[in-house]
Amino acid sequence: MKLRNQIIKIIVPILAILLSFLIGGILIAAIGGNPKEAFLYLLKGAFGSKANVGESFVKATPLIFTGLAATFAYRCGVFNLGAEGQFVMGAVVSVYIGTTVTGLPDALLITVSLICGAITGGLWGFIPGILKIWRGLNEMIVSIMLNYVAILFMGYLYSGPLREGSVPQTAAVTAKLMRLFGLSRMHIGIVIAVVLAGIIYYFMFYTDGGFKLRAVGLNSTAAAFNGFPVNRLMILSFVISGAIAGLGGSVELHGTQYRLMSGFGQGYGFDGVAIALIGQLNPIGTVLVAYLFAVLRTGATTMQVGTGMPTSVIDIIQALVIVFAVAGSAFVNLPKVRQFIVGASFPENPLKRKKNTPDAIEKGVGES
Amino acid sequence: MTTIWNATFISELLLSMIRMATPILIVAIAELYSEKAGLVNIGLDGIMAFGSLVGFLVSYITGNPYLGLFAGAFGGIAINMVYAVCTIQLGAEQIVYGMAINIFAPAIASFIYKIYFGISSSLISAQLMKPLPIPVLSHIPYVGDVLFNHTPIVYLAYLLVPLTYVFFNKTRAGLNYTAVGEYPKAAESLGINVIRTKYIASIICGFLAGLGGAYLTTCYISTYSDGVVSGRGFIALSAVIFGRWAPGGVLLAALLFGFTDALQLRLQVLNSGMPYQLLAMIPYLCTLFVLAFFGIKKAGPKANGKPYFKEER
Repeated sequence: MKLRNQIIKIIVPILAILLSFLIGGILIAAIGGNPKEAFLYLLKGAFGSKANVGESFVKATPLIFTGLAATFAYRCGVFNLGAEGQFVMGAVVSVYIGTTVTGLPDALLITVSLICGAITGGLWGFIPGILKIWRGLNEMIVSIMLNYVAILFMGYLYSGPLREGSVPQTAAVTAKLMRLFGLSRMHIGIVIAVVLAGIIYYFMFYTDGGFKLRAVGLNSTAAAFNGFPVNRLMILSFVISGAIAGLGGSVELHGTQYRLMSGFGQGYGFDGVAIALIGQLNPIGTVLVAYLFAVLRTGATTMQVGTGMPTSVIDIIQALVIVFAVAGSAFVNLPKVRQFIVGASFPENPLKRKKNTPDAIEKGVGES
Repeated sequence: MTTIWNATFISELLLSMIRMATPILIVAIAELYSEKAGLVNIGLDGIMAFGSLVGFLVSYITGNPYLGLFAGAFGGIAINMVYAVCTIQLGAEQIVYGMAINIFAPAIASFIYKIYFGISSSLISAQLMKPLPIPVLSHIPYVGDVLFNHTPIVYLAYLLVPLTYVFFNKTRAGLNYTAVGEYPKAAESLGINVIRTKYIASIICGFLAGLGGAYLTTCYISTYSDGVVSGRGFIALSAVIFGRWAPGGVLLAALLFGFTDALQLRLQVLNSGMPYQLLAMIPYLCTLFVLAFFGIKKAGPKANGKPYFKEER
């Protein structure tokens, strides 16, 4: 049964992706393009040269971080829509450290800066967490509001106190993350991201703490009855989720952007939520989907230059993936459909699949 | 600073408050209709984005902002139907699906804009709706200009408040409607069609949220750009919570948020030396503080957010 669930969990997003490409193709044809040519350009743009392959990894890095942030929070039943703000705040602290602290060796400076970025992101994530527990506030609204505050604060910094020169942007940090394999701008951040995903996977599925966290996410009442500190776990998951996003911001700053300017981190928060949901709230799935999104984005530019199709075709395809993936997950969890899927292989006992069987609990997020 | 608080400033501020509160009010009432039927829709931001694009486009093509506004509302319905089918029929989690709409709808809006105007378009603007002063009333000194010199949609928005109140509290249809959000099974057993009510709720919600979005591009800013909604959908969502699911409360909340928005705009215009980014934070910070001090735990319709399956026992 478990295996069947796993297979369904993998098949749904794959079908969603294929369906989205199909519709994307139809859309391209509808506006007078050639879908085959466009998708070929897309592939060429993503894998055509060593530099482009590296660029996909560069683009995947921040998406993995915000995707993991969303995954981590939602596994504990809290919705962190504020990854963008936490990401930005992490980068803000890092740019401050990177441009003002002198006399430290680069490696040490970056380590300090990344840690501070993670802490700041964690603090930024603490606010919606504590307000949810203490005042019963909707954490989504709070975290969204904090996104706008963080972005405006960043804007204030790069056009005010931390501005360098005539353009509204900060000075560049000198301590930069190590480049990898000579693949364009690809840097060691991708390794940090993937290792982090592995750690989170291990924590979530193989440790006591991870179990408790998931228990709260699946059924907070049952978790409370078992004596789990539900409130503390919820706040903690928000803090860790924020720290992951904040670390992502620091890595993006030291690895790719080096300075803050308009548009830094824009959209990464919601992208992260989308990626986490398509990846079925699994850290490994998150990494894979983030990579897919990054490949699409790298290829999109080439496609736009080669065929004149706007890059927003890719945005539509990404958006369709999430619409289909979520609808698909809900569909296979419908009582009737589940009965059909499960009943087909166990015809002798189709009625046993009621709502609260271990099997229904196993399926995880569909039910809450 | 004391000199700026003169009569002109205050009347400008209040005028601007009414104007800024309007989209929040319309969209908050949209959410009210949705939540009263047990559907939490956090996709308001997305629906607004789509409504604002459709509204702008139609108003640009036809030169008639009224048509644009109307089209925007129907665009909102179209987007919200995706949400409705998936949450009502498939029982998809409402929060998750609302989020999907928030990602999906702005992407479509941006795509259509780029297809229509080309990839690298300069700023294109359409005709804005003209204010329609109400005769006699608009000539009352001070008050007249603030209250009775607006675009028709503003009057409509404020008219919605008493209408909604009467509907939910004084009519049989409204009480049935509310029952769906409170206890759908009991409602069903009394012969109320729960599924149909939820669809009606989604249509109303989509219409109003689209209208609120279209208001932005037909009555407020004469151009469309990505991110034009800038979190107003979420502010509307907090207005519903702050207004405790009552039309009157929602009106107060919308006016408060409208006031903060107007205040920061007026202060920007005055050029007081404060960096505009810090001023622009005011509405978001106010929302946070207001919610933190006046928000209450566990309120609103009881079956809010829960999927409803007829067959389930």
